[in-house]
Amino acid sequence: MNPDSSSTAPRIAHARDFDEWRERARQLLMAGVPPSNVTWRDGDDSHDDLFSSPAASAKPPSSRKPSSTSIRIGRDQLALLRNAARYRTRGDDPARWPLLYRVLWRWAQGDAAAMHPADADGRVLHKRWHAVKREAHHMHAFLRFHRRDDALGERYVAWFEPAHDVLDLGAEHFADRMGGSPWLIATPEGGVHWNGSTLDYRFPCPATWATEARTAAERANADEDHALWRTYFVSTFNPARLNHKVMTQHMPQRFWRHLSEGDLIPAMEAKARHGGQRLAQETSVGQRKGKSLPPGRLPRHRTPPAGND
Amino acid sequence: MELIDKLSILADAAKYDASCASSGAPKRSSRGKAGLGSSDGMGICHSFTPDGRCVSLLKVLLTNFCLFDCQYCVNRRSSNVPRARFTPEEVVRLTLSFYRRNTISGLFLSSGIIRSSDYTMEQMIQVARSLRETHQFRGYIHLKAIPEADPKLLEEAGRYADRLSANIELPTLTSLKTLAPEKELGTIHSAMGHMRQRIDAANDDARQDARHPVRSNNPKRQAPRYAPGGQSTQMIVGADATDDRTILQSAQHLYRDFRLKRVYYSAFSPIPERPAGLPQAAPPLLREHRLYQADFLIRSYGFQAEELLNAPGNLDLEIDPKLAWALAHRNDFPVDLNRAEPAMIARVPGIGLRSVQRLVDLRRLRRIRYQDLVALRCRLDTLRPFVVTQDYRPANANLDSTRLRQSLTAPQPAQMALW
Repeated sequence: MNPDSSSTAPRIAHARDFDEWRERARQLLMAGVPPSNVTWRDGDDSHDDLFSSPAASAKPPSSRKPSSTSIRIGRDQLALLRNAARYRTRGDDPARWPLLYRVLWRWAQGDAAAMHPADADGRVLHKRWHAVKREAHHMHAFLRFHRRDDALGERYVAWFEPAHDVLDLGAEHFADRMGGSPWLIATPEGGVHWNGSTLDYRFPCPATWATEARTAAERANADEDHALWRTYFVSTFNPARLNHKVMTQHMPQRFWRHLSEGDLIPAMEAKARHGGQRLAQETSVGQRKGKSLPPGRLPRHRTPPAGND
Repeated sequence: MELIDKLSILADAAKYDASCASSGAPKRSSRGKAGLGSSDGMGICHSFTPDGRCVSLLKVLLTNFCLFDCQYCVNRRSSNVPRARFTPEEVVRLTLSFYRRNTISGLFLSSGIIRSSDYTMEQMIQVARSLRETHQFRGYIHLKAIPEADPKLLEEAGRYADRLSANIELPTLTSLKTLAPEKELGTIHSAMGHMRQRIDAANDDARQDARHPVRSNNPKRQAPRYAPGGQSTQMIVGADATDDRTILQSAQHLYRDFRLKRVYYSAFSPIPERPAGLPQAAPPLLREHRLYQADFLIRSYGFQAEELLNAPGNLDLEIDPKLAWALAHRNDFPVDLNRAEPAMIARVPGIGLRSVQRLVDLRRLRRIRYQDLVALRCRLDTLRPFVVTQDYRPANANLDSTRLRQSLTAPQPAQMALW
């Protein structure tokens, strides 16, 4: 690449989401601007300052550039960048847009190792993608819907606190899963509503949605199936195999607060430690009246199946 | 009896089955359709009980009344346990309700044998049929296959279920004879063989469909599905004297002869009213863990059971089976990561399958250095004596295996606190 004079000037680029970043990055890359000359900002560019060059917002001079400067990346690489961008950085973590642009720049220079997990930058990308995948999976697994049935009709409502930007990944999953049943998911950042056929995203989450989700969780006991689930959770536990470490590895404690069964866990563990651990059977089941059965006839021959066809 | 009481008894009675997987189902979605449920091949663990086991499915027995008298089983007829029986409608209601609240991804239904094997199988099929046909349920269904039941019933079960399983429980004829007199190894094997044939045939048809897609969207025009998630089984560990080598060899047979997706190992947990001869000890969890590790090495890493245990006996509890194998085969090490076959890199303790793939990708781009193993987060302490990279050779390559083992298992010295 042969950088012209404009590529050495410092730039400020804005991106609200991955697609905006992708568009800006493409323009900067074609203008040959190296990562060290770009300052990335979250948010929109309506207040662009004096130093930003028109090249970043104007149409790219694609017609005048030869095709050799157009950059191609594979579907897997694009998925890696897009999903790593969902990671919410904290403290000293490198911010998302500069990291992504640096990797893309190196890739465009022919440095294929830039996106490999053993690379200094690629390692961070892969770590972030892994964390994002894990958080999406947490949302699929640990979100709990509460049933509401009033003048507005039957619907399912949930409050969830994702650690990364995975609301849409969760929403797509639940749209496949719940079919025609309407549902609502509220989070501290955004919210999404499914009316049985389309998804309606809102950023920030409307206060009425958040209230509805909180109310539903508080009134969980009004739903008799809530008690059935809690009973199942207690009964399927095997006290003889008590293993706190493995449980918390797979189900971090930050999720317990919003699980329908979360508050049962400490008591179940305590009970297992104080004697319940001798048997696999749940103690309340053992206290019920038992019944052993007489030896019965066991047909060795097969009876013709009835009503099978 | 109230539904909640039945649930408490029949969930308690079903927990001895280790499997709770919801993976391996084909892609299904309810978007824009009547009904409920989806699957995408990946399992979801919706919760974990304090035993560290995943709750993915509603795992219950249809009934815990049983004509069999298997000694290791809490539900055997001579056991003085509370008994209950669900109606098929009750199981359907629970499954749909829990599913909508996102606490499960489907149903795992098993049952004690009542009246006859055929009758019991029919009752379970009725639940699955109602879920699939009446309620258009597209979530996961795992049905227990009763080996003694009519093959026609297994046929029908496979059309509704994602996974079928018939439990071996005890891997040898003699232990089955003493502990489970009504079960026959031959019958279990022939049921597994039957299911394998049907699964293979359905997979062939599905491949045919993929090559020449049927134009019609009518599901009847497409190849009928049969247990697309395959079949699995379970063996109890520690209820009798069977050793790990026997267990792993029979698992290997099952994978090869019946193409099972999974063999589960269930450490025997003490049950109430324990019959004479069965242990009252805590379940052998570490032994179970080592068996799962060995099983994974057999399924995915190309190991043979006989390589992991070359004489009768049990797996080493102190070190994992891959490290044990490497220590017994020092002549094959160290492995040069820049030259070795991927299959040999996979045999290095401390390097997993994903890292193998990444190393192979990386060495197409450049030479592998020790720092790359750090970046890929391999288990450095374990692999250090077994690998060579561009800039690294093990210093202790000539150390004999006994001393190497001592250095690998010795507790790490810790800095004492000053006060």
